[in-house]
Amino acid sequence: MTRRGFLTGTVKAVIAAVITGVGAVAAYFMYPAGMRARQPVYCECMEEEALPKKGVKRAEYRFEIKGRQMTASVYIVRHDGGLYALSPVCSHLGCIVNYNRHKNEFICPCHGGKYDEGGNVIAGPPPAPLSRLPLKVEQGRVYIGVMLPQTAAAA
Amino acid sequence: MGRVFDWLDEKFKIKAPHKRFLQRRLPPGINYFYCLGGAAFTSYLLLFISGLLLSLYYVPSEMEAYESIVRIQNEVHLGWLIRSIHKWSATFLIVFILSHTLRVFISRAYKSPKELNWIVGCLTLVGAFASGFTGYLLPWDQKAYWATTVGTSMASTIPLAGRHLMYIIRGGMDVGGATLIRFYSFHVLWLPITMAALLWAHFHMIKRLGIKGRL
Repeated sequence: MTRRGFLTGTVKAVIAAVITGVGAVAAYFMYPAGMRARQPVYCECMEEEALPKKGVKRAEYRFEIKGRQMTASVYIVRHDGGLYALSPVCSHLGCIVNYNRHKNEFICPCHGGKYDEGGNVIAGPPPAPLSRLPLKVEQGRVYIGVMLPQTAAAA
Repeated sequence: MGRVFDWLDEKFKIKAPHKRFLQRRLPPGINYFYCLGGAAFTSYLLLFISGLLLSLYYVPSEMEAYESIVRIQNEVHLGWLIRSIHKWSATFLIVFILSHTLRVFISRAYKSPKELNWIVGCLTLVGAFASGFTGYLLPWDQKAYWATTVGTSMASTIPLAGRHLMYIIRGGMDVGGATLIRFYSFHVLWLPITMAALLWAHFHMIKRLGIKGRL
């Protein structure tokens, strides 16, 4: 190895190390701090007595984002002995599905996706069933857990 | 690496004209004091990179500037490190430019044909001072506010036009939100671009005229 070759190689290695180091620090600096897995926020949606004895019932819950009141809906279903909350957001492209009492199906108005009472896909493009939201009953009130942005709070 | 560079150089043809410059023999009598200019430029590069990073989190607004600095210092990953690098590089930039100026003065490198290089260097020093002055306001705390109030009021002592010049610098009667945005713009856009152009001229003339020039 020549003296010049050694020096050139060393300089190149140092430059490469500096670029890698600066890049790593910069990437870490840019990565947002304080990221935690989202926790469900429990919002009250109805009284315990109002729970459906059988079938599907639409309920509304309120929450607050930056001081602004928002309302959203959820389907409470009692079916085959189970009680659960179904999100009305279609798993295809996120439209809000409607419950059809006569056909006993959730029908998406956008592309005709259909789900049964359990939220399972019967027809249409949806790739997955309607998602089930955690539900709990405390002191006669029904709460559902929703993934809201960090700036939101139950109202 | 080499192959990629060769491919790029086929297009840009930047290697051949620089080869003579990069592989030349240094004139006799060169010592480590001749590295001070390079040290100053390294400080400039550090300031440039750390400044680019800080600009991702800093908010140049009257209401949020101080809070965003606190956030950078306490919450952002390595925010304290990047801000300290920016602060200390700024200090060292001034130190290195001044000692480089002293070296040039002592070795009489300002003489013809390099007199324009001396002038460009002085303008760069002014740009560095201006960057330091405008950057000092950005944390938007008491020290920054009053330093800028005192500093800008000096402009008003210029006869006749002084008061109006101060209003232009402040963007109003007093130091306020308009001053903050103005100084931010100067600090991150006007001055870095101007200094980059000046430094290009500075280095171009060194390439053409040599380190020591004809004495």
